[in-house]
Amino acid sequence: MHFYTNFVQFYSLLHYRKQEIYSMLWKQVDLSKYMVAAAPFGGPLGSFQLISIANFDEPRPLLLADPGINEPPHSWTVIPPKFTLSRHVEVLLAFNSTILVVDATEARDERLQQGPFTKMSISPDGKYLALFTSDGKLWVVSTDFQKNLSEFPTKSQVPPQQLVWCGTDSVVLYWDKIVLMVGPYGDWIKYSYDDAIFLIPEIDGVRIISSEKCEFLQKVPDVTESIFNIGSTAPAAMLYDALDHFEKKSPKADENIRSIRLELSEAVEACIEAAGHEISHQYQRTLLKAASFGKCFLEIHNADSFVEMCKVLRVLNAVRYYEIGIPLTYAQYQRLTPEALIDRLISRHQYLLAIRICEYLKMRTDRILIHWACSKIKKSNDDEDTICRMVVEKLANKPGLSYSEIAMTAHKAGQSKLATMLLDYEPRAGDQVPLLMSMQQDELALVKAIESGDTDLVYHVLLHLKRKLHLAEFFKVINKKPLACSLLESYCKQQDTELLKNFYYQNDQRVDNANLLLMESFQQKDTVGRINKLKEALKLYQDDKEHVFEAKAIDDSISLLRTQVQLEKDYSQPFIGLSMSSTVYKLITINQGNRATKVQSEFKMPVKRFWWIKLRALVEIRDWDGVATLAKSKKSPIGYEPFVEDLNVSLFSWNVYNSEIRDKCPDGVIQGQIERYMAELTSSR
Amino acid sequence: MSTSTAAAVAAASTPAQPTGAHLGHTPLNIDSLRDLARKELVNVLDSVQGKKGLVLDPNLSGPLSLIAEFALLKDHGVEKIYHLQPGPLETDCKNLIYICRPQVNYMKYIAEHIHTHTTESRSGAYTYSLFFVPRRTALCEKVLEDEGVFGEITKGEYHLDLIPLEDDLLSLEWDSTFRELYLDKDTTSIYYAAKALMRLQGIYGWFPRILGKGEHSKALCDMMLRMRREMAVDDLEASQTTQMSQNIDSLIILDRDVDLVTPLCTQLTYEGLIDEIFHIKNSFVEVDAALASATPAQSGPGGAGSSSSATVTGKKKKVPLNGGDKLFGELRDLNFAVVGGLLNKVAKRINADYEQRHNAKTVPQIRDFINKMGGLAQEHQSLRLHTSLAEQIMDYTMTDDFNRILEVQQNVVAGIATTKEPDYIEEMINKQVPIVQVLRLLCLYSLVNNGLKPKQYESFKKDILEAYGFEHIQTLENLRKLGMLTKQVTTKNTYALVRKSLSLIVDEVNEHAPNDISYVYSGYAPLSVRLIQCVVQRGKDPKTLGGGGGGKSSGVAGGHGWRGFEDVLRMLPGRTFDEKQRVDDGQPMSSRRMNGQPRISLVFFLGGCTFTEVSATRFLASQESGLRDFVICTTQILNGNTLVDSLVQKVPDLQTNA
Repeated sequence: MHFYTNFVQFYSLLHYRKQEIYSMLWKQVDLSKYMVAAAPFGGPLGSFQLISIANFDEPRPLLLADPGINEPPHSWTVIPPKFTLSRHVEVLLAFNSTILVVDATEARDERLQQGPFTKMSISPDGKYLALFTSDGKLWVVSTDFQKNLSEFPTKSQVPPQQLVWCGTDSVVLYWDKIVLMVGPYGDWIKYSYDDAIFLIPEIDGVRIISSEKCEFLQKVPDVTESIFNIGSTAPAAMLYDALDHFEKKSPKADENIRSIRLELSEAVEACIEAAGHEISHQYQRTLLKAASFGKCFLEIHNADSFVEMCKVLRVLNAVRYYEIGIPLTYAQYQRLTPEALIDRLISRHQYLLAIRICEYLKMRTDRILIHWACSKIKKSNDDEDTICRMVVEKLANKPGLSYSEIAMTAHKAGQSKLATMLLDYEPRAGDQVPLLMSMQQDELALVKAIESGDTDLVYHVLLHLKRKLHLAEFFKVINKKPLACSLLESYCKQQDTELLKNFYYQNDQRVDNANLLLMESFQQKDTVGRINKLKEALKLYQDDKEHVFEAKAIDDSISLLRTQVQLEKDYSQPFIGLSMSSTVYKLITINQGNRATKVQSEFKMPVKRFWWIKLRALVEIRDWDGVATLAKSKKSPIGYEPFVEDLNVSLFSWNVYNSEIRDKCPDGVIQGQIERYMAELTSSR
Repeated sequence: MSTSTAAAVAAASTPAQPTGAHLGHTPLNIDSLRDLARKELVNVLDSVQGKKGLVLDPNLSGPLSLIAEFALLKDHGVEKIYHLQPGPLETDCKNLIYICRPQVNYMKYIAEHIHTHTTESRSGAYTYSLFFVPRRTALCEKVLEDEGVFGEITKGEYHLDLIPLEDDLLSLEWDSTFRELYLDKDTTSIYYAAKALMRLQGIYGWFPRILGKGEHSKALCDMMLRMRREMAVDDLEASQTTQMSQNIDSLIILDRDVDLVTPLCTQLTYEGLIDEIFHIKNSFVEVDAALASATPAQSGPGGAGSSSSATVTGKKKKVPLNGGDKLFGELRDLNFAVVGGLLNKVAKRINADYEQRHNAKTVPQIRDFINKMGGLAQEHQSLRLHTSLAEQIMDYTMTDDFNRILEVQQNVVAGIATTKEPDYIEEMINKQVPIVQVLRLLCLYSLVNNGLKPKQYESFKKDILEAYGFEHIQTLENLRKLGMLTKQVTTKNTYALVRKSLSLIVDEVNEHAPNDISYVYSGYAPLSVRLIQCVVQRGKDPKTLGGGGGGKSSGVAGGHGWRGFEDVLRMLPGRTFDEKQRVDDGQPMSSRRMNGQPRISLVFFLGGCTFTEVSATRFLASQESGLRDFVICTTQILNGNTLVDSLVQKVPDLQTNA
């Protein structure tokens, strides 16, 4: 059995270990002079107000509730939105002896007595808050302040320089050259250093950077503990032990395997996982070997996790290598995702390693290549053709790779020729547009936007062009691009009719322009204005031989409007806005039959329609005498059915209406119908 | 004043049963689409802390009520709901969430709200969040900028696109698409449709074959193919791991302007008639409250719960019409002529079921009956609703006007030319019936006859302007641009040829046991659905489309596509296309059916479709005896009235300011 020499056991049975990740080469740097600070979710203002910015892509500062304090807080921290009950960011401020919880809506005083709290820290899972109280106690409380978890007297009146969480179980405090770790049940351990150090909290532990080395202090992962704990009989421990026996050619190996036969599969998985948690290559290898050894005894076993872990370990070992220097643990890597790791490598210009890792993990290398190309362009002194060739050669066999960002970099670096050359390689029409716009390639930008089919992109270019160009130029650019024209029309109809008129004029779209004026006439408040607009429209229609009809119609509408003005004067009733038919109808309903007839002849309204209107109007005002007179006046051009129908519809005053119409009726069928209706009416009464 | 309160919108959001209960019963599990939309809505609401007021685009409150019920909104802090409309917004909610389509006028309303809040010197008192459906646009942001409120608003997107109305019916519920696409030539909806279809492909796999007819359909297809290529740039993995669809073997895209005749005809199916008369909006119909809830004593057989018959007339109530209502599911696709009989039969059966209680002697028998009671009461309720709906429809279909219009329509579509039809249209104008009805018939006449004779054209135009107002110069111009109301230039009538080659007119129709889709219009087969039939029923001689049972069904993926119908298609507007999609690893297209499930054709109507077309397509599926199913996607549901109305020029009321 191997013994893990650097385990530290608390009596609470939690084990911690502190491992060296690498030694420092920069011993001369005095770390005590450096501080690392970050406020990812907000920061205090001069007036002790808080502002939060939830999203850096579209930063929108949101003023949080006024905490009402007049001096800086003793300490403060932020609870990320994902950990709060409200799902919105909360800020904790230590003020006087209490803590204020501030969010967008309110600043809540928790009414604590133990303050002032000179240090505070939120656990990685957001559940607990570690506080350093005025009387030198470390106090751990749940973030909603409902549950008191532990109190630990440090016997130090001086607040620690740093107070950080180590995983979610324990808290690490740092005073000058002394590191104190306090466990969940009040157990503790102390490390001393010769020089100043700095603590960096991670999700699964704390990195301790001293001038000599970088160490990692963490709670021993459960699987690791189950294997290496002294006297452990966990299946994984038995398997690990079996390998040892096997290598020593001891028959106990077989005995061990037999004893865990049923749990062998889980033992294998545990060894694989434990290998992941190891930093030392030696242990990684032995644990994987144990897993591999155990696999031999399993009939069915899916080796995916084994293969996967080998891959991950190769990647982790590669980035941990001192020349790269990214000390990631397995847990951190899982949380971070490979993509983010690649990003880190890219920003360190470790392109080769990034590409190798991508290829090894079967990920896309686009981002790396693009970043590479961009930095190449920024740094290179070669001429544009050479750079272009160099970039394109490297990127040639990557179908679907987006060139727009590279081209944009070239453009920003003042190499517009290069930018144009590169942009030709961009497969997505839409992505070319922003760059083309900033490169003043206006028409091309519009063409590409139209090509993309994304109307909003077209609008984007259109609005940009409209701002930038003279009207004539603007129209010239969009001319002969039907989509651009129709989108401009839609836009103008809602926002800018003057522009639309100009546009129609430029394009010689007289009919559209005339109709636009026609519609505008309806917006005019006074009749004179309305008639003027109509006259303008009329002129446009008259210019066009194809539209004699419309010209005539508008002419009529002007006359009608004038007539209506007169009618309003004569009868003090609203007429304007009515159609010709409605005008006549209304005249009859106000008993101005003669005037109605006059309007009818003035506008040469067909007799048939006039009869219909008259009949309906008379029925509406229940002028049965009028109906009868109409029926008798001469032979009805609309037949006598309508008279019957309307009688039927109105169900009214049947007796006034009967005989004259019946006598007038030319055929017996309708006479019969009238009689039937009358009979029905009588019976329903 | 935007004072419509929560109650008004809540009425739409709280139907008798939870929304969406009728979804998710097919292999495609359409309900999952709804779940996604629901989850995203919750995220939208949670993005703002505390209690909030929701300001909704009036056109979205219907679609949203299909996604989430009011209780859900309430659970996520929504206290009040307002409609987004002009005028100041008075509210005591400090956090406002706007959810609207990216439209310029809405931006102005919002700006106005913010300006009034600011001038009331309460600036900073409110927070504004704005979510665009389905995405933010440069245009709207520009307007917000111009109005000077850009910085005040937190902006986001709510990617609501295809909303499941039924297991076989998805809609973008974008009401203005037809006008935008065909009149304004604004192709935004094609882009949104492409996005939505790409999302469907992300879920169900690539559609092996994309066929279609029409210019815009072609553009949609091209855009989808391009998006797939470009997808490799963003997300190679997804573009490679997405498989060919196992269930869906084809996507058929049809332009609305390929068949403008069908929507202009009066619908005669049950659901179609409800839509024509009451107008179904987002699968809800507004009826008298008395119809939907109270229990008239006289109609209750067995008298279950017939005690409260206090009916309040004049009050309207929104009733959901969907497959959750079993009886409606049976009735919706039938020709209205047979609905009465069926209702009668169901009434008798329910009555008989109630009568069983007399036979229930022993305790277990009584228990059985009690268990059935709940179901019976529900059936009863639905029967009452549909009986009274059917009665009202009957009142309408019995009128002289209805029958004359129908006769004219049928003669026109069948090409039985007389002078009676134009005369009747003239009479309608003289009688001043609503302009939409006149134009609907007139457009139908013009479309079928390839335009009106020049003299007739002029005189109708004159009549319309004089009877309805001169602003309709624009209306007529709109219709002319769309080719719906034109002057005849040649006597060659393509429609007649199409009618003949696709057997659009079928003389003998048995509405009770139909054997062809023409039953939906009592003798006229909708052209759009005939085109679908061309694709899915292989080996059919075009001449025999109208008669007899279904043709041989085949895998569309490997099938003949449009072959055999090229001549007809050439006569219709727009390009015809037939594209195949493959995956790189050379995996063969899934021509085998997965574990006996039917293959599915997705049908996309670009520019909207009618309920009748949906019914006819369902009938096609029923002819395929379980081998093929259809899922219909559309930009919106329309009918002749809504279609024509969207083209009619509106003017402000002029009477007010003389």
